[in-house]
Amino acid sequence: MRGRSARAIPPWRTALRWVLARVGGALLVVWLVATIVFFALRSSGDPLEAILGGPGSQAGPEAVEAARREYGLDQPLVVQYLLQLWRVATLQLGDSYARRQPVADLIAEQLPGTLLLAALALAAAWALAVTGAIVSTSARGRIGAIVNATLRGIEIVATVMPGFWLGAVLILVFATSLGWFPATSQGSHPAGLVLPVLTLAVPIAGFLAQVSRDALLEADAAPFAVTARARGAGEPRVLLRHTLRHASLPALALSGWAFGNLLSGAVVVEVLFARPGLGRLLQDGALSRDVPLVIGAVTVVAVLYVAVVVLTDVVELFVDPRLRGPRPAALRAPDVAVGS
Amino acid sequence: MPALVAGLTTALLLTGCAADAFDAPPTAEPIEGGTLVYATGDAEPTCLDPHVGGNYPQALISTQYLEPLVGRSPDGEILPWLATTWQASEDGLTWDLTLRDDVTFTDGTPFDAEAVKANIEHLKDPDTGSSTGWLAVQQIDTVEVVDATHVRFHLSTPKSALMEVLSQQWAAMQSPAGIARGKDENCLAPVGTGPFIVESWTPQDRVVLVRNDEYVPTNPQGHDGPAHVERVEWRFIPDAATRQAALASGEVHVIDNPLPADIAAWEGADQQHIDAPRPAASNRIELNSGQAPFDDVRVREAFIRAADPNPGIASLFHGTAERSYSVLSSVEPMRLSDESVFATDPERAAELLDEAGWTDEDGDGVREKDGAPLTVRFPVSTNQSTAAEQSLFEQIQANTGAVGFDVQLEPMDLSSWYGALAAHEYEAVSAPYTTVGPDVLRILYHSDGTIPAPSGYFANNAQLKDPELDALLESALATTDPAERADIYTQAQRIILDSYTVLPLYDQQNHFLTKGVTGVEPLTTISTPLLLNAQLLG
Repeated sequence: MRGRSARAIPPWRTALRWVLARVGGALLVVWLVATIVFFALRSSGDPLEAILGGPGSQAGPEAVEAARREYGLDQPLVVQYLLQLWRVATLQLGDSYARRQPVADLIAEQLPGTLLLAALALAAAWALAVTGAIVSTSARGRIGAIVNATLRGIEIVATVMPGFWLGAVLILVFATSLGWFPATSQGSHPAGLVLPVLTLAVPIAGFLAQVSRDALLEADAAPFAVTARARGAGEPRVLLRHTLRHASLPALALSGWAFGNLLSGAVVVEVLFARPGLGRLLQDGALSRDVPLVIGAVTVVAVLYVAVVVLTDVVELFVDPRLRGPRPAALRAPDVAVGS
Repeated sequence: MPALVAGLTTALLLTGCAADAFDAPPTAEPIEGGTLVYATGDAEPTCLDPHVGGNYPQALISTQYLEPLVGRSPDGEILPWLATTWQASEDGLTWDLTLRDDVTFTDGTPFDAEAVKANIEHLKDPDTGSSTGWLAVQQIDTVEVVDATHVRFHLSTPKSALMEVLSQQWAAMQSPAGIARGKDENCLAPVGTGPFIVESWTPQDRVVLVRNDEYVPTNPQGHDGPAHVERVEWRFIPDAATRQAALASGEVHVIDNPLPADIAAWEGADQQHIDAPRPAASNRIELNSGQAPFDDVRVREAFIRAADPNPGIASLFHGTAERSYSVLSSVEPMRLSDESVFATDPERAAELLDEAGWTDEDGDGVREKDGAPLTVRFPVSTNQSTAAEQSLFEQIQANTGAVGFDVQLEPMDLSSWYGALAAHEYEAVSAPYTTVGPDVLRILYHSDGTIPAPSGYFANNAQLKDPELDALLESALATTDPAERADIYTQAQRIILDSYTVLPLYDQQNHFLTKGVTGVEPLTTISTPLLLNAQLLG
């Protein structure tokens, strides 16, 4: 199609601007996070306790003085804040107050477990959501209406279900009463992953299912779908080649948010199922005012979150060619078919 | 369709996998060897060396690999352990100890007077950051090595409770070579003389202990040889329901901090219950007599007359906790218990408040005096107070509310709780204190206990500053004659109880449930579970 704008912008400059905007955004988020965490932790308690082996420490005056000097806590708060920022900027995450080990090591140790949980939970949520969406569009007529209503109800309940409640119920039913799965687990043993992944996935699945189904129903009734059926395409072909891509778009866009949700849900699941992971590390660190550990962990989470959002944007570009051309937003009307 | 088949197959495989992890029905025969799995609900220690800091989770796990100088019988008598004899001088400023000569640390370093000196100095060193252990050896000025098996402590002031506090895990003996490796390394795997050795620590998951095959049986509660089990896995499972599920399914053999409802439900049915109240102080509510409204003894007595915790304790704890009328634990022989001081009498409470000038003029149910309401700030530590205990506090809140108190329960995390106490922002508080022996009364109720440590912490939450009580507690510390000590402590407890600054509730609850294992018993010093004699069943 000819008739592009008079000033031709080279594609690499557009890409560069896009990348710079993303990196700039990420840096902004990390700075905000570090600042908020620093002041939140410091304003609510004395980090000296964490250093001296826990709150209510009865350590003597010399021990306290030694710790104060060693950790620079005798300097003004603003100075300490700037020092902390500098350390984050130069990627020196420092040593944990309570555990006296490098924060980077602690995080590296615990991150894989949490990432495994989050990835599996996202995959499970997607599977549940797409299945639910397909089922509700396949059922037609009065049965279809009943199925639709039931699914809607289930989705709403799933979305609002608190993680600690769902996890506890799953443990009670499947671990204690039936004995099918263990109550606690670590690592990647499949049986041990089922209950924690399910606990994490269900609330996300509820949300993704709602938006997927709406998008699928909309796409199913769109002119291009009608045309495809008129040309003799069967239901599976219509689904796979045409409508499913439309249905996946809102869920894809939400996946970045969902991942962030999963990382915070991991705190509850890891504590409940006694799984080692970043969530538990964060909880322990926050409760004991372990400033370097919490800042380090939350920064890592923030960076991961931004990375996942960027990734979903890239995947969206692949799935939806309408976004790759000029004036993407205007073309993103539901009746313009993807890939037709 | 293929997806369905795949799904079913996966489910079948998974259940097969899960079934393998669980035990076959036990045959109830104790066996040698095996791996015992202990699941703790307490916080994971940040350092496995109990010299650093000094909290109960550290005591729990270090019981298996560190041993103190002396033990204690259920009657409170000091028993030989790594030290065989001990003798105080006339003036109480010098203590001579004889040590065993046949004990070696698991890294080959001999246990001798030099080792004892290194340990005491480690406790006193500010860089160690010791809290509880430092308090225990605070009065020791210097340690003199007389010869390999004789060590002498020179004290700055007499301390009759010295042997009692040296029996605590937080003053246990470690290898000097181990300590010399530096805090970072020693925190990961302290070296001791105990029945197990620390092999590895996976943070937030478990600590693995292996049997010390060269263990010299010195423990007064031990049998004649090394441990029966080969390995101990010490797992951290914070959630009580998950812990209980793990015990029921056979994933773990021993758990601590079970919920009272679970104890009542499972006791006798292939699970065994160990009830080991912690020594020293009981679980009490203390009233801040240092500021209004509890600076008036009538208001304090009114609160105690109205509180009526007994029905709450009976229902919330399912019979696992017995009401205590003493500031000392039921395992302390020198305790004084007086039920009459704490008789419930709401009418008398109302009378006392009227006498003290607190009346409800505006009819909102809360009494006032000079415009100020009868508010009782009650910070509650969610770390230390169990759910049942928090519910008990709510019942006390309702009972005292009926006579006009406005009790404001403030649940908070441990750090914030200590902050509130340090800032004197409380009228009532329940603060457990774990140590050994009646000297805890001095720590909790001597006026010196109102002087804050550098962190802001002070132990005397009741803010008792009674010169007569101070003199009694100091003289108890100076005398080693047991009969005289007992008499002095009785008088001291009389004063404390009659001051109405303390409302004892029950012993510090310390329950364990076991399944598939026998021989687990509480150490009579600090009531931690000892796995030396444990044997797996079947």
